[in-house]
Amino acid sequence: MTMMTIVETPVQGRRPKAGLDERSKGSDPAGEARIQRSVTEDQICILTFDRPGSQANLFDRDTLEELIRHLDEVNADPRLNGLVLISAKPAIFIAGADIKALASGATPQDVSKLIALGQSAFNRLNDLPIPTVAAIHGACVGGGYEVCLACDYRMASPDKSTKIGLPETLLGILPGWGGATRLPRLIGIPKALDIILAGKTLPAAAAKKRGMVDVLVPKEYLLEAACGKIHTAGKSLKRRKSSLSLLLMNSAPAARLAAYKARTQLMEKTRGHYPAVFKALEVVTRGIHRSMGQSLLMEREAVTALSQTPACHNLIQLFFMQEQAKKLGSKEAAHLPKVGNIAVIGAGVMGAGIAQWAASRGIHVLLRDINEEAVARGLGQASKLFRDAAKRRILTPVEARAGMDRIAPSASEVPLGNIDIVIEAAVERMDLKQKIFARLDELAGPDTILATNTSALSITEIARATKRPGQVVGVHFFNPVHRMQLVEVVRGEDTDALVVDRAVKFVQQLGKLPVVVADRPGFLVNRILMPYLIEAGNLFERGASVEDIDEAMLDFGMPMGPLRLIDEVGVDVAQHVAHTLAHAFGERLHIPAVLGNLTEAGHLGRKSGQGFYMHAKRAGKPQVAPGLNALQIQQDVANLDREALQQRMTLLIINEAARCLEESVVTTPADVDFGMVMGTGFAPFRGGPLRLADTLGLAKVVERMQHLQALGETHFEPCALLMERAREGKSFY
Amino acid sequence: MKRKRLVIVDGIRTPFTRMGTDLARLQTDELGRIAVQALLTRTGIDPARIDEVIIGCVGQPAEAANIARVISLRAGIPESVPAVTVHRNCASGIESLTHAYEKMAADQGDVFVVGGVENMSLTPLLFKHETAAKFGRLAKTRSLGQKLQAMLAFRPADFQPRIGLKLGLTDPFCGMNMGETAELLAREFDITREKQDAFAIDSHRRALEARDRLAGEICPVYLGGSSPRVVKEDNGPRSDQTPEVLARLKPVFDRQNGTVTAANASQITDGAVALLVMTEEKAGELGLVPLGILTGYTHAGCDPRRMGLGPVFAMDRAEKRLGLSPEQADVVEINEAFAAQVLAVLAALRSDPFARQHLGRDRYLAKIPRERLNVNGGAIALGHPVGASGARLILTSLRELARRQAKRALVSLCVGGGQGSAVWLERP
Repeated sequence: MTMMTIVETPVQGRRPKAGLDERSKGSDPAGEARIQRSVTEDQICILTFDRPGSQANLFDRDTLEELIRHLDEVNADPRLNGLVLISAKPAIFIAGADIKALASGATPQDVSKLIALGQSAFNRLNDLPIPTVAAIHGACVGGGYEVCLACDYRMASPDKSTKIGLPETLLGILPGWGGATRLPRLIGIPKALDIILAGKTLPAAAAKKRGMVDVLVPKEYLLEAACGKIHTAGKSLKRRKSSLSLLLMNSAPAARLAAYKARTQLMEKTRGHYPAVFKALEVVTRGIHRSMGQSLLMEREAVTALSQTPACHNLIQLFFMQEQAKKLGSKEAAHLPKVGNIAVIGAGVMGAGIAQWAASRGIHVLLRDINEEAVARGLGQASKLFRDAAKRRILTPVEARAGMDRIAPSASEVPLGNIDIVIEAAVERMDLKQKIFARLDELAGPDTILATNTSALSITEIARATKRPGQVVGVHFFNPVHRMQLVEVVRGEDTDALVVDRAVKFVQQLGKLPVVVADRPGFLVNRILMPYLIEAGNLFERGASVEDIDEAMLDFGMPMGPLRLIDEVGVDVAQHVAHTLAHAFGERLHIPAVLGNLTEAGHLGRKSGQGFYMHAKRAGKPQVAPGLNALQIQQDVANLDREALQQRMTLLIINEAARCLEESVVTTPADVDFGMVMGTGFAPFRGGPLRLADTLGLAKVVERMQHLQALGETHFEPCALLMERAREGKSFY
Repeated sequence: MKRKRLVIVDGIRTPFTRMGTDLARLQTDELGRIAVQALLTRTGIDPARIDEVIIGCVGQPAEAANIARVISLRAGIPESVPAVTVHRNCASGIESLTHAYEKMAADQGDVFVVGGVENMSLTPLLFKHETAAKFGRLAKTRSLGQKLQAMLAFRPADFQPRIGLKLGLTDPFCGMNMGETAELLAREFDITREKQDAFAIDSHRRALEARDRLAGEICPVYLGGSSPRVVKEDNGPRSDQTPEVLARLKPVFDRQNGTVTAANASQITDGAVALLVMTEEKAGELGLVPLGILTGYTHAGCDPRRMGLGPVFAMDRAEKRLGLSPEQADVVEINEAFAAQVLAVLAALRSDPFARQHLGRDRYLAKIPRERLNVNGGAIALGHPVGASGARLILTSLRELARRQAKRALVSLCVGGGQGSAVWLERP
């Protein structure tokens, strides 16, 4: 391969003039090269990562071996003055390791070998006698950043696509190709822990501020600047000294203090459920006082062990499901134009939330309600969200203002002919919704999709109020819209397949994760959630304390206890949804009186300041509301310990999850689990309710349920699918 | 070939609110954005169909040069649609419409968003040139000593600002303030303080009576912040204006012998107006029923010291070109810059000597009855956001024509600097 390859490579920007050189060649004579090597007139070697037939660069075994061959040849060439790493992809530097290599099935030996291979490649880079510069443009995460850490100098483009970080702990492992070793040595333990423990990925400017990269250079000038740096700084790049403050931060007492503080916080946050973060903490704070080799060995052993934990398998599985959700949709839909205009009917909390989110993603939004005061409240909510986003530097002030500008308010009926998708988010009443849809049908253009954000009502029934039932679909967002990633796309009985596809594509355009569900009461997420929340209410009424119930589920790994969740959703809303589902599913849902009692007393949860908890305006953790004892009508479960409470609630979640599969609300167990983790924050390390059932063993799950059923608690009757699978010794996955 | 006609499809405006009140803190481009966005929402027009955005603005803010472009982009009109800001002082709002007509006639487009915007509350205070130079020198200094020295050059008088609004309302050619030009007309046409005050009271009364009708041309303005609020109404019209109350006010421009007071002059006001205009063919193609048709228009020049008479010269020229006498209009708008000035226009229009001396006519041009003049009140009650007023008069008079099922409207303004504009409109 000659220099021509380089010239043709679509790297943006000016390249230093490179002369023809017999050393310029890919070093993989058999397969297709993933890395191109060239040498400039100044004797600077450039390694360009360019995985054939892909938008992304990855580190898999072959790429690492190819890198090693290149580095060995570079090392053997005494004429070279320096080395630059760069990517030819438009929006990705290197997206990290190929996660598939870690998916379940990989033996400890496989993992250990792969880690050793990467470490040895990056050590070779680290040990080169010539100065090395990473020229980063696009996503630079995990192994992609670890290879940069092994360079002497890091430049990054300030482009939006440039994201730098070490997200390994989110997958239940830790940065094992030198990340946990080199990052604290570069920027100090506290900042390194901040990145590694939270699995943070940062924009270029933030990474520069933390010292993760040395300088920002526009992508067009990256290569030129990298060569220039080698030219001017030369070998001095190899002799960069640690600052005094870095030495202090990384001193033994400081490391111990940082470890102690971080561990306490982690325990509080994770309740010990995520082994990877604790391992990472240990490797970072202990490895720093050992040799590089010893620290790297700690990394390797830690990753190898972690890769065998269920948490790691479940988190990786979820990662794949997310990737899949991002790509969901048919081939026909892939070529449809993007949505440019939507209308949101109803400017309440959900309507305004949807409007704000869509506007922040560049979509023009018509926000309609029946009077100016309602519109004003909705706009006020949207503008507060934009202000907060600007305050937290998620958006620049200019972006926030442009977002707000995209929301056009209207308190009167206006033409909808140019609208791609109308999303109705009005009051949850069938007669009202049907009236609205009949009118929307008349106002909208012939291709306009009419969507509803209903969380409980039948899409099919709403659709039949129109002359275009095929174009009516459910697009169910969760509250708060700007934080919840999942959106249920509900397929009514008459909904056209292409309309479902268009809705899925729209959800993806919004940067949310779609799951397609059937038009059954409660759809997927609320349906599984409700029996759980109802059980929490019943347990309370039967004598269990609010603390015990909520703590039991926090211990389980939920982000929030069920009673606290009822407060957040609104006690009245929870009661309403519960009744709707009870109406559909009959006896097995026994709604506790406490919901009605609290609602009647005006204790609606957070919005009214009091529910199961007292919600102070700006305080931290809310306190349990006083006088709740009077609402406990029995004491028969007062003696249950937290483990027993937890078991009851999780069994009901599992049972309802299995029912959803049984009734084909979704098609695969993965859909159920993905929906629950993304829609409710169901303990991610457990992989979802059906994965949990598999882990526990279906026979055991059924046995426990039947035990409770035998005690007279009929709502624990396991569903047919669960019993059948248990009997046949099968699992869900 | 048949000449193309321009039609006004629909229009909308923000409430007009007195300087320093409800809309005072909205940037001028924000005001304009609200009106244009409301126009797009209300008409449902695909913004990509617009050929150009033309907005009148007199005091363009320093932070939004070519404010029409800023408004256009912020209102969600595609980047590919060009935008131009026009300035004919008080007639800038009218200029936006006549400019669109000229573009249409020159085959530069078929569909336009036109209008006007002014936030007079935000007219800046300015530093004198000498002061600015001192700031410039200070900015160039490096050492502390140099800085101190540069700072010592400032004198208290340097910090006395030049008031932008006052500068804008003074004719730089003849040196007279707009109020002084009105005083001149009051003297020459013998328009007493009592007549002016009575006219002003009438303007308020009419505006209040028209409140419900005017509501139909107003889009609410939503003010964000911690407690969201909606502004829905003009806040200029007052119900407490009586001859006794008005008589107590001191003349503003000639303290000794003057007759022009704050109450019988137009209010200083913030507001924006947007109109969707297009060729008659295009409206038919899109199935839109226009509100009105632009029949013709003229801009005319006159003595800057008597700029208030501008409408007379514009109406005269329009009669000669179009053959339409002001008496043929069912509805007439003469912008109420000053009561004295409107009354002087009426006097000049019905004067034979004036017609002979200034218009080259044997006899008077027209007698305009008060029942047809400014029937929904005028700028004395509603305010005069200078860049926007002309567009408001077009919108208000077209809606009035529709209400009355009448045929023709004549809209005119006097223009600081000595001009007048007249626009003839008709109902389709």
